[in-house]
Amino acid sequence: MKTTTKLIVELDHIRKVYRSKQTFFRSDQKKIIALECLSMKIKRGEILGLVGESGSGKTTIGRLIVKLENPDTGKIYLDDKDISLLKRNSLKNFRSRLQMIFQDPYQSLNPQLSVFDTVVEPLIIHKIGDSTSRQKQVNQSLELVDLKPPADFLDSYPHQLSGGQRQRVAIARAIVLKPEFIVADEPTSMLDATVQLQIFDILLELKNKLNITILFITHSITAARYLCDRIAVIYRGHLMEQGPAQDVMTNPKHPYTKALIDAHPKFGYANKKQYKTLLKTQREPVNGECCPFFIRCEIAKMGVCDIKTPELKKKHNHHSVACFFS
Amino acid sequence: MVTNTSDSMAGALDMLPKKRQKISAFNEKWLIFKENFIGRAGLILLSLFALMALLSFIPPLIDPMYHPMTGVDPKISCSVGPSIHHWLGTDFIGRDILSQLLAGAKIAFMVGISSAFISIVLGTSIGMIAGYFGRYIDAILMRLADIIMVMPTLLVVLIFSSLFGQLNIWTIVLVIALFRWPGVSRVIRAQTLTLKQRPFIEAAKLAGASPIRIILRHIMPNVLPLSLLYMTFRVSSAIIIEAALAFLGFGDPSSVSWGMMLQWVWKTGHMFQAPYWLLPPGICISLITLSFYMVGRAMDEVLDPRLRKEDD
Ligand SMILES: Nc1ncnc2c1ncn2[C@@H]1O[C@H](COP(=O)(O)OP(=O)(O)OP(=O)(O)O)[C@@H](O)[C@H]1O
Ligand SMILES: [Mg+2]
Repeated sequence: MKTTTKLIVELDHIRKVYRSKQTFFRSDQKKIIALECLSMKIKRGEILGLVGESGSGKTTIGRLIVKLENPDTGKIYLDDKDISLLKRNSLKNFRSRLQMIFQDPYQSLNPQLSVFDTVVEPLIIHKIGDSTSRQKQVNQSLELVDLKPPADFLDSYPHQLSGGQRQRVAIARAIVLKPEFIVADEPTSMLDATVQLQIFDILLELKNKLNITILFITHSITAARYLCDRIAVIYRGHLMEQGPAQDVMTNPKHPYTKALIDAHPKFGYANKKQYKTLLKTQREPVNGECCPFFIRCEIAKMGVCDIKTPELKKKHNHHSVACFFS
Repeated sequence: MVTNTSDSMAGALDMLPKKRQKISAFNEKWLIFKENFIGRAGLILLSLFALMALLSFIPPLIDPMYHPMTGVDPKISCSVGPSIHHWLGTDFIGRDILSQLLAGAKIAFMVGISSAFISIVLGTSIGMIAGYFGRYIDAILMRLADIIMVMPTLLVVLIFSSLFGQLNIWTIVLVIALFRWPGVSRVIRAQTLTLKQRPFIEAAKLAGASPIRIILRHIMPNVLPLSLLYMTFRVSSAIIIEAALAFLGFGDPSSVSWGMMLQWVWKTGHMFQAPYWLLPPGICISLITLSFYMVGRAMDEVLDPRLRKEDD
């Protein structure tokens, strides 16, 4: 398809800082830098895997894109339009184009609403169709997420469903408006392995059948490899490496990516190749500018990595890395 | 037929139609409630009082002299103990105490339930709005709640009635309601704050839902059980406040309430001469507040064992 090379979402030098609340007794604010000067492009029709350890800012990126939160500095573009400028009607229209699937299916469904009421709500809010066509659309969505036959599920309540079924309902709700883009925030981390695979297949189907672009957030690099066209590796709010999934997996360039691949268990692999890029004992943190991974990096060199932050540089074949030694 | 609930939850493929499931979920709660001794006792007591309120319409129909306010036994002009014509005796001008007691039940329900209802509606909506919108809306509403909360309701009603003369029963209901919402709104606000963090609210936001829609459709159904629970406690306190008012002589003179009966006993100096007159309204006030409280306690356990205790 021609459109596959077109961008859908672009993040431009995003910085997001969370500030702890000022209290009466403590006036000093603790700052948590969730994202630091992060730029990223998501192409239409792809599944981009966002990988990183816990607390690296993956969820924050997702929440910024769907505008549940606003960046402190930097701009986010959807189809070249700055989303921070959206107001009222255009915001509502924006909402129908981007959706999010949350991590915990036990928390993301209203316990008081039936499956039908949950899935039909976006249609009601956006005043799409009449009751018969809505019924049809809900059924279609449920079929797409493999809740078949839909009639069996329409009237159930979340507490009557298993975790996997709940997550499917959440996906059905996300796709009922036919969005162009979905943020899937660790949609399977609460589910067991077989159900995980089923959810992955549903996501693949969404991409192939409905041409939905997906930002797939995960801490498991294997899941990303199974599902994604491209992988972006993020560490403490910095983008470290980005490239085609196959490339990043078989030929990782950044020591942090290598450490991530090292960390995942390789059952039955003949060559238990280890990159060993993670430092056993952490270095003293540096004040001022340095590579964010410096304190944990095995191959870092004094005089290089502790005085400058490496920029993301294109190596070859759309594969880019932020490391001086790659 | 007994269906294994855990099985049907796990399977979920053997779907039953909606109606039946809803009822069975309700049944489950009802069963727990019925098992609860306190709840059962409270409910039985309450239905007795409800029966009394219903029966209050009968005596005036039998004979105008049984009208609780205006009916006077032509043959009696002072307080007389129980007899065939007056099962509980008569008061100081020969009115039937039993019919007054029945009419008092009606007033107690009316005052209790309507003022509790109004204060719950107020408290729930204010709590949800404060909790959901936060910031200065929250600050303003909660400071207002604080101010009202520290005002003793009884005293305020007394001041009102000394300012405006005798208060009509509906004014009393309204004033009690207006001064009893802050406690509810604090609890509902806290509940809203925790609900607000739940992803299903964010999912609704992403679907484009307006704040009003989120409050009505997503937050309200989740706080309503808590509101209902608080309503049972509010009923008790409203009945007590009304009784106290009436006893102090600030009740609505056009209707008979238990508090007013007590006031008559006291004012006419029958406190220790006419136990048949003093005891029934006193016992009724204690029992009806107790029974609402017991029902509330039982509901408390059914709805959520972690709910906090009513602290005022
Ligand atoms: N609402 C918030 N208030 C304060 N700090 C926050 C908030 N949300 C996130 N953070 C902080 O921002 C950083 C990034 O958080 P984020 O949730 O994006 O991480 P994550 O990569 O999604 O982690 P996980 O894999 O555990 O979900 C963390 O250090 C976290 O503590
Ligand atoms: Mg996360």
